[in-house]
Order: sequence, then structure tokens, then C-alpha cells
Amino acid sequence: MELEFGARSDVGCVRENNEDSYRVVPDLNLFVLSDGMGGLECGEVASRMAVDTVVEHCRKGQENPSIPLTGPRIEGVSETTNRLASAIRVANGAVNSAAQQNSTGRPMGATVVVVQFADERMSLAHVGDSRAYRLRGDDFEQLTRDHSFVAEQMRQGRMTAQEADSSKLHNVLIRALGVDPEVEVDASEELVLEGDTVLLCSDGLTRELTDSQIAAVLRETEEADEAAKRLVDLAKQAGGGDNITAIVLRPGEKPVGALGRVGRLGKWIKDSAERHRR
Amino acid sequence: MPKLVLKFENSILREVPVGAKEVSIGRSPENGIVIDNPAVSHFHARVFNEEGRIMLEDFGSLNGTFVNGQRVKMVTLKAGDSVAIGKHTIVISDSRDLDGFATGNGNEKPVAAAPKLNETVMLDTKARRDFLQKVAAVGESAQVAPARIKVGTLVVRSGRTDHREYTLNDKLTVIGKSALATVKLKGWFAPKAAAQINRRDDQSYYIGAADKTPQVNGHSISQPTKLSSGDIITVAGIELEFVYRD
Repeated sequence: MELEFGARSDVGCVRENNEDSYRVVPDLNLFVLSDGMGGLECGEVASRMAVDTVVEHCRKGQENPSIPLTGPRIEGVSETTNRLASAIRVANGAVNSAAQQNSTGRPMGATVVVVQFADERMSLAHVGDSRAYRLRGDDFEQLTRDHSFVAEQMRQGRMTAQEADSSKLHNVLIRALGVDPEVEVDASEELVLEGDTVLLCSDGLTRELTDSQIAAVLRETEEADEAAKRLVDLAKQAGGGDNITAIVLRPGEKPVGALGRVGRLGKWIKDSAERHRR
Repeated sequence: MPKLVLKFENSILREVPVGAKEVSIGRSPENGIVIDNPAVSHFHARVFNEEGRIMLEDFGSLNGTFVNGQRVKMVTLKAGDSVAIGKHTIVISDSRDLDGFATGNGNEKPVAAAPKLNETVMLDTKARRDFLQKVAAVGESAQVAPARIKVGTLVVRSGRTDHREYTLNDKLTVIGKSALATVKLKGWFAPKAAAQINRRDDQSYYIGAADKTPQVNGHSISQPTKLSSGDIITVAGIELEFVYRD
């Protein structure tokens, strides 16, 4: 399956450093994003270490599948998905060691979200509040659950979305890389369809833009690269209070030139006809 | 800013700060704190700030408002006071300890040495435990391991598939002709991927559209939809019943 992608990262309008890191690895169809924490250079170091370690572990696993997994095997998911979870655990160990040697005395950590495409399956694993979304038709869905205190409260019905947004505790993570020697990883799998759009992003994007704004940009922008750029630009215009990173992924045949446009035109005619009928 | 912490049987339901604006309490949805219980009047009581003093006034409610066990009409509240309304309790917290915990300025071991405003705070296992205890939340561990894990099963009621029954052990189950599909459809015109079912971390199952939009109990779904035992799924000419098995 062809995969079109675009990625952008920006320091935003308030922070001095960009503590977000990301890697796109087209030959593995692997995409990873991390939001570092700890201030000064610690956050940058943590997030770069996280993405590099994840890519390295996945590459090794691809070259030699007999390399053992780190941590418990997750049942009900593929080898690839287990490899992603394993890679995150290795990255956690790396960041945790670095944090203990860190002389500033400030805690150091990172979030991570990673996806890998294999045929029609997308493997997904994450820790923290960096997110993966999927746009499929009219449905824009968050595929990850934030490991944050307010998200947990909302899941338990103790807070409404509005309360969570205005909570002073919105920045408290209950899971992150580097904090403990071991970390629990969420892993899942998704079916991939032509026409889907998958977005990976740091919270700098989702704090500035609503889900429907993000969905609209993804829907209206043809090129994945342009979509990533527009999302980051809009988040900056909206305030850019934090670092902003977006990776936009479009599986399926890339709509090339006129042929792609004809396809879209056909869809537009069909949609309009349907709207007319209503 | 002091906070009202609404509790029911040791669980914190919500927290409301008492600022310049008064907080009304009652069964009616217009209140700042809504307690949906027949023992609570529609407009039961209010809490307001008067020159730095936190006041509580009962609106002449039928079942009364009790502070530390005493029925009251109008009193000044102090941190630690417990207000009983029906079966619910509202505790007055000097919110500094809660906020301080998150920003590292409290009496507790600081989580971060000198965090800037708005900086993300990470909780390690111990801090998380303390924190969750502090807010009396159940935490996520209680959700992760239910005593008995139920497994979803699809029973084929009609249509051409490769089996009559499928146990949904995988996190992703695809219905279609694709190599990835668990529920394999037969026939020339069957879609590669008609629909997908995701098992989430709380062991619930959600069905979502793929090349086709499935119906659940006769209704086309517009977004991923949680499945319950007995639900009938219709998609791509087949009919499936979802059931939980122990």
C-alpha cells in the first residue's frame, strides 16, 4: 500500500525550545512522535532519545525478528504491534537512566506515540498525551486515550469535557516515559482503508485547535505535507502556547494529477447528488 | 481559592471553586452543583464568598442542609467542614494542597523542582498513588483488571462466512474478504473490509465502518458504537449476533 505523508514541528510562540521530536521512516512505514518534558535541554534530550530508541529497536526487530521483546507480550495483537510496545519500553528505560544521571534535579520524561503500517493493518502504541487520530469519511476519531489525570477523570464520569478543559490539573500526566523504570504501554491495531487519514500530534496542536477544526483541515487539504503545515500554522495563529508537531499520513494510492482530481470530482458529484436527494 | 468537593460514599464526584460568583446547589440543572436525587430540593442551598468568608445558606429546603451534623440555615464555612445534603457530602477544601501537589509548591514532596506555569507534570508510581488517593479517585488500575474477563463472540445468523461463530480474542477484528479479516466473507462481490471491531483496554468492543456502514439493531451507525450482548449486526449481506461469553 502506498503511503503519502507530511510532517511539521514548530517551537510555537511562547516557548524557547522545541521539546517535540519526530521521525518518519518510510522504508519501515514507521512514524513516531514524542513530546519531551523537563525544561532546559532535558525535554529535547528526552524526546529525541525516545524517538531514536523506538526507531532503532523497530529496525533491529525488522532485520532480525528473533530479537526478544522487552516486557510482557500483549495478547491479541500482531508481532509488529508487540515490537512497537517493546520499543517504547526500551525507550522508557533509556530515558529513565538518563533522568537519573541528570544533574539539574528536574524530572525528565517524554510522551510517545508510534504507528507502523503493514499491508492493511496499522499498529499503534503510545504512552502519555500525544495523540493519534483517524479521519474516515465524516468520522474523526481519537484512536489513543490520553494518559492524563483529567482524561482519566472523564473516563470515570467524574468530569465533563468542559471541566477537564478548564481544569488546572489538565497538565498532569499519569503515565510518561522516563518516570519509572517500567512503563505500561497501550497498544492497538487498526484496519487501514484507502481514503483514511491518520494524524499523530503533540498536545500543542490539540490545545489550540478543536477536533472539528483539525478534521476540517484534513478533509480540505489534498496534500498530506500541506495539511501538516496548515495545522501547525493554524495552531500558531491560535496562540502557539506550546511546541506543535503534526504528522499526517494518507494510506492508499496517491491521487496523482488529473486522475486523482477526477476521482475527487466524481465523489463531489456523488455527494452533491446525495445532498440534493435529502 | 477554596473549593467545594462533592462526594458520594468516599468518591469525589466533582470539585467547584468558590470565587466571586456564588455556587448554587440543587436538583435543577441550572445549579452550579447539581445533585440528581429526590431527597434534594430543586434549589437547595447556595455557597458564596462574602468579604473572604465562605457562607452557606439553605433555601428552606425540605430535607435540610447539615454542617458537621447540625442542621443549618446560614453559617460561615471553614476548610474541613462537611456539608451533608441528602446522601451527598460537600467538603470544603482549601484547594492549595491539591493545586500545590500538581505544581510542586505544596507541603508534599515536590513533584517538580521549579515548574513553569502550564508545564506538564509527570507523576511517578508513588506520586500517582498519593495523588489519586488525595483526590479519592479509583485510578486506572482498578479498571485494567476486572475479576473476570469476558470475551466477545460473534454468532453468524445468516449469510456466507467461513465459520458459524467467532471468538473476538484479537484487539482488531475485520469483517470482509481481506487477508486480514477474521470473519471471512465469501462471494464475488463481498467487500475487502466491510467493517471492523476494536477491543478496547476496558474489554469493551466497538464496531466501526470500513468499506460499508454496518447496522446495529437496524440502525446505521454514524460513529464507532459500543456493542452489548444481544446486539444484531447487519453488514454486507450477513447478520451477526454479538454476545459476551465468560
